[in-house]
Amino acid sequence: MSQVKRIVIAAVCAALCIVLPMAFHSIPNAGATWLPMHIPVMISGLVAGPVAGAITGVLGPVLSSLLTGMPAAPMVAPMTCELLTYGLVAGLLSKFVRTGNVTVDLYVSLVGAMLAGRVVNGVLRALIFSPGAYTLEAWLAASFVTSLVGIVLQLAVVVPVVVSLERAGLVPPRYPEKDA
Amino acid sequence: MRGVPGYVWADSPLHRAPAAAKLVGLVVCAVLVVLASSPVELVVAAAGVAALVGVSRVGWGAAGRAAWGLRWFLLMVLALNALLFSDVDPLFSLGPAHLTAEGLAQGARIVVRTLLVVVLGTLLTATTRPQELVAGVRSLLSPLGRLGLSTEAAALAVGVTVQFVPTLLRESRQLMRAQEIRCGNVASRGIMRRSVSYIQLLVPMFVSAVRRADELSVAMEARGYRLSSQRGSAGGGERKLRS
Repeated sequence: MSQVKRIVIAAVCAALCIVLPMAFHSIPNAGATWLPMHIPVMISGLVAGPVAGAITGVLGPVLSSLLTGMPAAPMVAPMTCELLTYGLVAGLLSKFVRTGNVTVDLYVSLVGAMLAGRVVNGVLRALIFSPGAYTLEAWLAASFVTSLVGIVLQLAVVVPVVVSLERAGLVPPRYPEKDA
Repeated sequence: MRGVPGYVWADSPLHRAPAAAKLVGLVVCAVLVVLASSPVELVVAAAGVAALVGVSRVGWGAAGRAAWGLRWFLLMVLALNALLFSDVDPLFSLGPAHLTAEGLAQGARIVVRTLLVVVLGTLLTATTRPQELVAGVRSLLSPLGRLGLSTEAAALAVGVTVQFVPTLLRESRQLMRAQEIRCGNVASRGIMRRSVSYIQLLVPMFVSAVRRADELSVAMEARGYRLSSQRGSAGGGERKLRS
């Protein structure tokens, strides 16, 4: 995949980071529970690599905050760090994890990115964004309880979307020799 | 779904100002608005934003469109803060919820700050064309080019993102309408069924978006657009458009 296409995919996924939360807006408290902004970031990392994933992770929340007011200004910095980690780690794992099975590769990369992003988010909140006021219980609740629906949604949607993109010929297949 | 502001044709000092200056101004103003906490500071901030809307000549409707789209969310924020922020000297209590003056003031502060930041963001996109925004981002990031980072890629990504938002919004509305025709009105269902309907929209939305990205990148490369790293250059983010 060319550099230009990687950047354009990253940008289109960042645009989806702005559009998807609007679609989910009619569901109460959708942002914290459904995590609609996480999905394009993960997909960007998985299909276009770590740099594209990181670009989407930065542009998505920053431009969404500027254009639509969501996330609110105080949330932008921690959210940007978290999403940057999701995109970067999803891309890196997708690049290096090669089990021979596309679905297994993608799920390993996705789950690894989900865990890494939550750990980075917790560490940054505890040390920088909310020092002294952020507890392990608060991190566990925000990362795994409140967002349980979002986690299930990501596990159910991200891999099928990436496989659909491969089947549609829009991104290069992970194992072209198998498809040949 | 609420609308996202686009460029509004007008001749004003804000339209003529350099995009880089407007981007810096937006960040500075947003920080000042977030730091404003007393009623006097918030009124001064609101007066400043209102003055900018007047100077921009984009019209109050265009400037407030995105903020209006957030009305239900902001009402919810106000209500949650008013009822749950504090339990000292409640004006009214019902179970764990206590309506307090302190909670109302906190809710109002958050709502006003959010509204002002949204209007500022709207003013930026209403007075700046996407290509000017790209040029502004490029010029602001140019010092990073000396460190070997590709500012061209960042500028390209910002420009494509801003240009794609209205397109993807239109497409998602079309997909929702198509789903309504097949399965009935999505918005009138319960939360669970509505949620499942939204999930079913995700795959076609992503396939359509990446197809557009594919077409755009093919068109750009066919016209000779190359990022510096593709041409084997070690540093900088310089672009060459050969056609």
